[in-house]
Amino acid sequence: MPGGADFWITQFLNGLQFSMLLFLLSIGLTVIFGLLHFVNLAHGALYMLGAYVGVSAAAHLGGYWSALVLGPLAVMAIGIVLYLTLIKRMRRAGPMNQVLVTFGLIFVIVDIVRILWGDVALGLAEPASLSGPIQIFGVSYPAYRVFVTAVGLVVMIALSVVLNRTQIGAMIRAGVENDAMAACLGINVERLFFLVFCVGCALAGLAGVIAVPLFSATPGMGTDILIPTLIVVVIGGLGSLNGAILGSLIVGFIQTFGAVVTPGLASVLVYVLLAAVLITKPAGLLPARG
Amino acid sequence: MFEQTPVKTAAVAATIAALAAYAIFGGYFSREIVIEIAILAILAISLDFVAGFGGMISLCHGAIFGLGAYTFAVMTAMWDQPGALAALAAILVATAFGLAVGAVTSKTTGIFFIMATLAFGQMVYVATFESQWLGGDDGMSGVARFDLSPIGIELGDSLQFALFCLAVLGTAYALLAMVLRAGFGQTLIGVHTNEDRMRALGLSTWRHKAAAFAISSAVAGAGGVLAAQHTQFVSPELMVWTLSGEVLVIVILGGIGTLVGPVIGAAVLILLKHEISTYTDHWHMFIGVVLIATVLAGGRGIFGQIEHLIAGGGRGAGRDA
Repeated sequence: MPGGADFWITQFLNGLQFSMLLFLLSIGLTVIFGLLHFVNLAHGALYMLGAYVGVSAAAHLGGYWSALVLGPLAVMAIGIVLYLTLIKRMRRAGPMNQVLVTFGLIFVIVDIVRILWGDVALGLAEPASLSGPIQIFGVSYPAYRVFVTAVGLVVMIALSVVLNRTQIGAMIRAGVENDAMAACLGINVERLFFLVFCVGCALAGLAGVIAVPLFSATPGMGTDILIPTLIVVVIGGLGSLNGAILGSLIVGFIQTFGAVVTPGLASVLVYVLLAAVLITKPAGLLPARG
Repeated sequence: MFEQTPVKTAAVAATIAALAAYAIFGGYFSREIVIEIAILAILAISLDFVAGFGGMISLCHGAIFGLGAYTFAVMTAMWDQPGALAALAAILVATAFGLAVGAVTSKTTGIFFIMATLAFGQMVYVATFESQWLGGDDGMSGVARFDLSPIGIELGDSLQFALFCLAVLGTAYALLAMVLRAGFGQTLIGVHTNEDRMRALGLSTWRHKAAAFAISSAVAGAGGVLAAQHTQFVSPELMVWTLSGEVLVIVILGGIGTLVGPVIGAAVLILLKHEISTYTDHWHMFIGVVLIATVLAGGRGIFGQIEHLIAGGGRGAGRDA
């Protein structure tokens, strides 16, 4: 077994950071799932678009911070176009057709990215203020990774305040619970769907931008992250914020610690966990509906 | 209801005959394409059997196909067993795995079923990828083709192998059509149409779905046996989930729930792929657009659309499931 306490603290921080990235992706997917009953396999492709737009924004407009603003906005705009052209009319088409159409979208978006940006991996430098290591729990750890974790935590807290403490949050929860009844009570469910979809897309774009300095932008990044994200959503329970948090932590830590303790078996472990959850608790660990 | 209508028989016979003619009169390259089409068509009809008639959209059929290929490779290349025994073992392993997956997942529906099959498929993929014994990432080479020289067939020749694959495709189609016409298939379609009612009639629906999944897996495993012999090489690429996705595209393009459609879909898609790849590198974008257009056009697919037109645009005869 390698390393001492420092090593395990570093791995813990890595696990937390990966969990937060998964959280940013899965929260959008899970609420879209729960509220719109829409299976959006193209969510990973939107994450990839965020990354590439971020790279270009940083190159042309100067620096990381412009990427952090423009990436999510651009992905949200693309999401709006997709919503109006395709997703709205696929809403009632059943999960199979949704899976197929969004699977087709993955192919299209990946090839558009390859045409516009090429096949090579593109990097994005972290901002100078976050480039060095910092001391945390007595170990030296890259400041940028702490920043990623912090972004995830801030989004998590903000979403949980919005969902649990505000009127719009109550409306979203009502929509997830029973959209027909929510509509009867005078909630404009369609507008709510649209809003949630936009926020979900923006968060995917945000995750894409903050992931680039860690992993670089590649045309395969969207498909690579899609499966862990779907696993998080299914393990946690569709439409549930707490489920997305729990699922992200479980998958993030299993992948990080599994890669250290049992290299090779780490990815199998995640799938075994998914199968076990689906068999014993098909609705997920913390389902949104009672 | 599934009916082996004269239109269906004519369509499948014409497609297989056209492919055979293409192999006979074309060169080496067209024979390789025909082999690729025949093998993918076998996998596609096995998927259509569960997806189109049982409502079970499986994303682990690539893994089952790969299990068949790997079992065949281990039996022949590693253990020096005769081809017939190896093929039998491959089909048995694929069937057993399919039965297990079917039994465990058949109580879930919709997106949960899709995710569960994805999980089991990826487990097999990752386990194979990481297994040193199976050659890991590099796969395994030295797989022998069937030795049919005693009856005068030389499968080392690409034309004879292409015709052999088409014969297997025809047999697999006939078998699955027979099962669908029999009580078993009618019951499966009944479960897909209204599972609660079938349960109320006293059927153990999950057991029936698991059995259907096992039958489909046997055919997918047989496809894997041919795939291993085709390239005489197996690698984890055979098992990755996107292959299952591409086979699903073939099923949708050809016409889900028609059994003939996937054969046509495999031929159209592979031929287009080779044509388009000579002009552009962006073949996948084309697949994506075709897939989206097919679903938006009503999701009938090529053969479903033909049946729909023949039926006078009324109730499509192909949309039975």
